[in-house]
Amino acid sequence: MRTFAPLIHGYWYLLRGAGMTLLMAGASVVPATLLGMLFALGQIFGGRISRAAIVTYIFVVRGIPLLVLLTFVYYLLPLTGIDLPPFWGVVLVMACYYAAFMAEVFRAGILSLPQAQWDAARGLGMNRRQMLWIVIFPQAFRLAAPPFVNLCANLIKATSLVSVVGLWELTMASREIVERTLAPFQIFIGAAFLYFCMCFALSRYGKYLEGRVLAGH
Amino acid sequence: MPDTEPGRMATMPRLMLEMRGVAKRFGANEVLRGVSLSVPRGQTVVVIGPSGSGKTTLLRCINMLEDYEAGIVAVDGVPIGYAVDEKSGRRQRMAERAIAAARETIGIVFQSYNLFPHMSVLSNIIAAPIRVKGVSRPQAETRARELLAMVGLSDKEKEYPARLSGGQQQRVAIARALAMEPKIMLFDEVTSALDPELVGEVLAAMRQLARDGMTMVVVTHEMSFARDVADRVVFMDGGVIVEEGPPETMFSTPKTERVRQFLKRHNDRYRI
Ligand SMILES: Nc1ncnc2c1ncn2[C@@H]1O[C@H](COP(=O)(O)OP(=O)(O)OP(=O)(O)O)[C@@H](O)[C@H]1O
Ligand SMILES: [Mg+2]
Repeated sequence: MRTFAPLIHGYWYLLRGAGMTLLMAGASVVPATLLGMLFALGQIFGGRISRAAIVTYIFVVRGIPLLVLLTFVYYLLPLTGIDLPPFWGVVLVMACYYAAFMAEVFRAGILSLPQAQWDAARGLGMNRRQMLWIVIFPQAFRLAAPPFVNLCANLIKATSLVSVVGLWELTMASREIVERTLAPFQIFIGAAFLYFCMCFALSRYGKYLEGRVLAGH
Repeated sequence: MPDTEPGRMATMPRLMLEMRGVAKRFGANEVLRGVSLSVPRGQTVVVIGPSGSGKTTLLRCINMLEDYEAGIVAVDGVPIGYAVDEKSGRRQRMAERAIAAARETIGIVFQSYNLFPHMSVLSNIIAAPIRVKGVSRPQAETRARELLAMVGLSDKEKEYPARLSGGQQQRVAIARALAMEPKIMLFDEVTSALDPELVGEVLAAMRQLARDGMTMVVVTHEMSFARDVADRVVFMDGGVIVEEGPPETMFSTPKTERVRQFLKRHNDRYRI
């Protein structure tokens, strides 16, 4: 039991770190989702220019590691004179980064609906807005829910990167305790466990949603 | 016949549907090659023809689910899709909103039912009347229950489509289309995807509809239905109407060789 004493002493600190991780993930998921939906719609229904712009954006963002993007913005922001607290700077980067992946998830959800559903909606005299809100979105969101939840789990894990630019969250908290206690294994096992719990809960939820989609609800 | 001219609002045109010279191609494939079809108010026209002859495309052009390159379509004297300019005589595509509004007057039922799987039976039926037509919810529900009773599904209003048989889903689809109070109903092989023992219940609903005076265009392989219900049978092949006439003469003494052969092959296949 003595081996795990550092973990037991530091658990409250780690939990607070986990809280910060969730806060950061939550703050990023909301704008990432909204932006992702916007991109998906722009890509499907937009004109040539907006489509090309979105495709390019997604292509570029998906080709850059998040860590590089975070570091880049970390050094870039002060030069532009924009006075953004580091927390919001990180949220901005995470949101823009994950929006590209969200866009793909929502686009796939919308496009995987059979043409017949559009035909039925149009055949009843619905205009574009009505078709989308009454028939397409409710089904597309259901289809997109499982991959969306997986992406959220992915985003939670990715927040561990922000300790590199000096933001305090679970990984940073763990490192601080390790520096004091010199017990890296125990502490990081604790941190890994906390990450696992957060993501496991989400992926269970994702599986549950997937089951519902397959059952046709 | 000035009272049937599309684009001009006549008081009570005799023709409920008028198509003139409709031509449609998919790439190099000319699927409709100048089809003209008129359906008088309250009549049922049955369209038959071999696979790929353009029957589905014809129906989809009537309510502009498919755009077409030439020709015009009017329902109850009101153009849908393209209007003809009075002065220049040129054909002009109507605004998307106007087309959507015109579609309200045309009910369509598909081979694959196409119910909205995320909505209950009742919601499937009342969604468009409420959201598109602005009917009040209680009024829409009352009408929906009448229609469900008519197709014999009163006990299913809370059910989801996935839990219904094909025949039941198709009858809900008919009720859904009727809930918009259309002036004309289009049916595209609505029994083709059904198990044989479920075909009867759907055809019965359609017979009832025809008796009640609905104007209908029915694409089907059910020759007995055509014989009993059709006021006129239209035979399509290669994107044109080859022959049309009352069912008695079409089925007993067809004028063209193509119809004769089609009916012969058809009878060989469906008679045991
Ligand atoms: N969306 C489409 N894109 C390209 N070609 C199409 C499309 N829809 C139909 N066609 C072609 O148009 C022709 C007519 O098709 P259509 O579905 O109207 O025939 P049909 O008479 O309804 O046949 P069936 O009895 O098999 O339903 C066919 O050659 C078909 O391949
Ligand atoms: Mg067809």
